[in-house]
Amino acid sequence: MKIKLSWRIWLFFIVIALAILSIFGFPPTFLEKGVLVREVAANSTAYQQGLTSGQIIKEINGQTINSVEDYSNAINSIFTLPNESIKLSITTKTGSYVFFTEQIPEIVVSEIPKTKIQTGLDLRGGARAIIKPEITLSEDEMDVLKSMIENRLNVYGITDLSVKIISDLAGEKFLLIEIAGTTPSELNKLIAEQGKFEAKIGNETVFIGGNQDIEYVCRNDANCARIESCTTTDSGDYCSYSFEIRLSEEAAKRHANITKDLGLNITAGGGRYLDKTIDFYVDDKLATSLMISENLKGRETTQVQIQGSGSGTDRKSAIEDSEQSMKRLQTILLTGSLPYKLEIVKLDTISPMLGKDFNKLILLTGLVSLLAVAIIIFAKYRNIKASALIMFTSTSEIIIILGIAALIKWNLDLPSIAGILVAIGTGVDDQIVIVDESSSQIQTSIREKIKSALFIVVAAFLTTFVSLLPLYWAGAGLLQGFAFTTMIGLTIGVLISRPAFADMIRIIKEKNAT
Amino acid sequence: MEENQQKTERADKTFSQKFEVAYNKYYKLALIIPILILIASLFYLCSFSVKHGDLINKDITLTGGTSIQVESKADINELQKTLEAKFEEISIRQISNVITGEQVAFIIETSASSEEVIPVLEDYLGIKLTSENSTIEFTGPSLSDSFYNQLKFAILLSFIFMAIVVFLIFRSFAPSMAVIFSAFADIVVSIAIVDLLGIKLSTAGIVSFLMLIGYSVDTDILLTARVLKRREGEINTRIFDAFKTGITMTLTSLAVVIIGLFLTSSFSKVFSQVFTILAIGLVIDIMNTWCTNASFLKWYIGWRKK
Repeated sequence: MKIKLSWRIWLFFIVIALAILSIFGFPPTFLEKGVLVREVAANSTAYQQGLTSGQIIKEINGQTINSVEDYSNAINSIFTLPNESIKLSITTKTGSYVFFTEQIPEIVVSEIPKTKIQTGLDLRGGARAIIKPEITLSEDEMDVLKSMIENRLNVYGITDLSVKIISDLAGEKFLLIEIAGTTPSELNKLIAEQGKFEAKIGNETVFIGGNQDIEYVCRNDANCARIESCTTTDSGDYCSYSFEIRLSEEAAKRHANITKDLGLNITAGGGRYLDKTIDFYVDDKLATSLMISENLKGRETTQVQIQGSGSGTDRKSAIEDSEQSMKRLQTILLTGSLPYKLEIVKLDTISPMLGKDFNKLILLTGLVSLLAVAIIIFAKYRNIKASALIMFTSTSEIIIILGIAALIKWNLDLPSIAGILVAIGTGVDDQIVIVDESSSQIQTSIREKIKSALFIVVAAFLTTFVSLLPLYWAGAGLLQGFAFTTMIGLTIGVLISRPAFADMIRIIKEKNAT
Repeated sequence: MEENQQKTERADKTFSQKFEVAYNKYYKLALIIPILILIASLFYLCSFSVKHGDLINKDITLTGGTSIQVESKADINELQKTLEAKFEEISIRQISNVITGEQVAFIIETSASSEEVIPVLEDYLGIKLTSENSTIEFTGPSLSDSFYNQLKFAILLSFIFMAIVVFLIFRSFAPSMAVIFSAFADIVVSIAIVDLLGIKLSTAGIVSFLMLIGYSVDTDILLTARVLKRREGEINTRIFDAFKTGITMTLTSLAVVIIGLFLTSSFSKVFSQVFTILAIGLVIDIMNTWCTNASFLKWYIGWRKK
């Protein structure tokens, strides 16, 4: 007898096929060769030429690039001599970029991901912070704050980030900042510090951070921004750094006005300085005080040296600390102060190591669970067809949920995976109901039996669905992943796979009956 | 062979017949046991909240504090002593590989803020904690407080939503109340057991109670639909049929939950807590669905016939 599949079954198959396409892409990404550009430093030559993150590098100066290793080998073989202008030709999937550069291009690359599924921070590693302004802000004010923080992090050098305004059941608003990959240890200061920079002589302000007073900040150039010296003491190592900034004319005039009336002070070593220091304050706390040399008295100087220091338990960590502190100071000088005081209410930095082990464990748990369910189902029904069908439908549902996640670029985090588990568990339960109901001894048609099974399935769906709704908003959205994947999974189940499964069971029963 | 089969069939029949007679006689008793357990749980929870100021023990995700997981080996007892001298509430747990049992990392939990703990820990370990070698989660007390209150509110809302939907589906007061009551009993008894076991609940733990609402109502709906909507068969047959289906559902769920618990317990506190609570809840649900709810429905159908 020829089996005629219903449209519900066809729909189910089509959705599975689409989900597979959505997960692997077309043509499948795992067949793609090359490396993926993750980050291109803003204002670098490569960036100006149009290379952006998301592109796939295939060739560099004629050398084929198939892996990150190929990439670093190629770069190392090209840049052998320092400070030499080199012609670099980067061929990507969409075009090629040719430019001359002295430095190794500031590009971060990675292997091309095998699937289009994006994992959350807790599996991939990175940092997540939730910050709350001290006062309640309007939506517009939150937007301004959001873009200021984005700008600050970008200026600092973090580009792979997302900043979102979130609100919770109580209507409170927060900023959720998520940063992928390695995170600077100073992240908490970088985001929560208001970053109010003031340079004062006595009680008078000479200049403040931001583009009003500061025209240029020297960064990433050893000629005008560097670690000066390091010392070792009993309590650890200390390093000092300095970098140049250029003031606006107005700020330079202020400097001249304030310094012209100052007296002279001669140090024991014979140094000739003015009798007041210039003090740098960050968020109203004194950071550094510098003596002003005599020849600057009354002068409209635009070049100013900013100094600071860092410390650590050994030389290496002291240098690192100084570099980070310098970068942070440069950032707030460039971006200026945030308009509000902020409080960090949550700060998580997650090691990528954790995720690697977790992925394996979750896969193992998933497989063993499916196997256990298969054994129980088979033990109950002693029927290969029905049992195999249940396993097939459940596995397909996982694929469909993952496909949707890949399609809408949902970040799969641990709560989301728990959500998939719940959806699949409910799916198995529903299928058991359908099989049992359709095999009952009652003297009605198979269609009637399936109808009453679907009544139970839909009723169970509705109750579970509505009970998950509040979770979508509770807890500042951190549990959205769980609520979302569960609801998606349940909805796909009740709309697509359950009707298809019921039809398949009906066809099997009808075939057996004839 | 055939004779043997007939014999066992006969034996089966007499057993199920005996069971049915007993069930018809004692089903009201089956209603009493879960209710007694529920009352005992309610009493326990009352005294618990008087003693501890809250219904549950909360962990740092709900009280605020820091959890630091360091991917390296350390003498946990020694570290505990060092940290205890400096911080009030501190607990350290080792994480080991599921297969080899070897220590791969350790987790420190404390109510102190990350800024206070990290320097002390770095001093002790002699390494700098970076995002490469450690995972640090800090939750401020204000956020965790609002988390807790919102989650409580979310559970209440879920329950109300679920109740409304149940009423809309069955449009019959008493059976709907039985479903809702059974879900309520599941949650109350499970919370009591969780407290009794001394489990400190995290955000995820509270969410598992919400998951429990969904799971527990499924079997109740199955039972109620079979008993109320089907016209054929004796009431007992309908209940037994529903039981056969429902218990398979619960057993598959339990199997998954127990496997998950076994595999992830040494690794993830979040998952192991979720799985523990679901396992407790599912077992309690067997009792509340098939004793409480089933007996109630049987009694209700009998009363309606009169």
